Amino acid sequence: MKESGVLFHAKHAFMPNLLGYCGPDERGRIQRGLEEGKSGEDLVNALQKFEAAYPFLKLIAKSTRRDVFDYSVPEAYWIGNGLLGKVSGPDFYAFSHHDLKGRDSRVLKDLFRKLDGAAPPHHSFYVMSTYATSAVPDGPSLSNESAKKVGELVDNCRISWGRVKRVQKGELQVESRPIVVEDGRLELAPLKLKTVRYNRDVRPFGAVSPGDVVSLHWDYACDILTSRQLGNISRYTAADLALVNRFLSFKAGERGEG
Amino acid sequence: MCVTRAGKAVSVSNGRARVEFFDGMALDDVDVSVVGAKKGEFVEVFGNLALSVLSTADARARKRAWREVRKAAGVQATGVAGS
Repeated sequence: MKESGVLFHAKHAFMPNLLGYCGPDERGRIQRGLEEGKSGEDLVNALQKFEAAYPFLKLIAKSTRRDVFDYSVPEAYWIGNGLLGKVSGPDFYAFSHHDLKGRDSRVLKDLFRKLDGAAPPHHSFYVMSTYATSAVPDGPSLSNESAKKVGELVDNCRISWGRVKRVQKGELQVESRPIVVEDGRLELAPLKLKTVRYNRDVRPFGAVSPGDVVSLHWDYACDILTSRQLGNISRYTAADLALVNRFLSFKAGERGEG
Repeated sequence: MCVTRAGKAVSVSNGRARVEFFDGMALDDVDVSVVGAKKGEFVEVFGNLALSVLSTADARARKRAWREVRKAAGVQATGVAGS
């Protein structure tokens, strides 16, 4: 269970690390571990150096009395599952203030207060709320071009999912619903085809086929999802969107746009 | 996952910047066009997009936070002039 948890976590952390957006400069180790399909000490050490992802896992593990790399823990964080509901609001609030480096504590306080402590330690919520709490001009004042850029950032950064339509060498054509910014709100757009990268040497991608649903991070197919996971990521993403849009509505109200 | 990082836009050209972060890392192709950051300003970056221009006071506070983190790890924070 622990080995599969390490690999599941590594699959989802890999691409933003490769791009230099987070974590240590250990992309070679992570890729090697994924291709070998082994959760050796090297891979675990690299994953423990991520500034945000690893602390999130520790929070969920501590609250649910599980091993950090028990499969259900990274699954809760990246995809969503019942463990998220077992992390108390006050624990997440304290964690966000003390363990998440780089977040402005005043902004976090405002976020938690406006959402009545309903914030979940789910990766997509973290991503969406980062946009929502930022100083980017939002609402009607955000230009179409900027809204497009912000929407693409949120969509790339969250874990999304897509149904495989076509398998090519190193690339999959998938159908997915991107997140877009519309009138200062985050919305799921209609289904759209896009091309993403994948690594055939990472299990189970040697057997990926049309009809499979894959999780996506920065246009990289991380894993093939089960129907349970598909249900969960859909449900938790919808909940994240509702919470973040509630917060954005509060902000718009404060600016006198509500 | 992406983390929010603060740093200095050390060069800006056509809305893209090289940003040197307080955590010691740097990115060469940060899109600063949404917030209109200029060379020498401090920015908060998520992924490859700047989401805020920070005041010098906020930048100093972020740098202090990173200095504490990096001190614990045995390295120095880089960045805010005059702080």
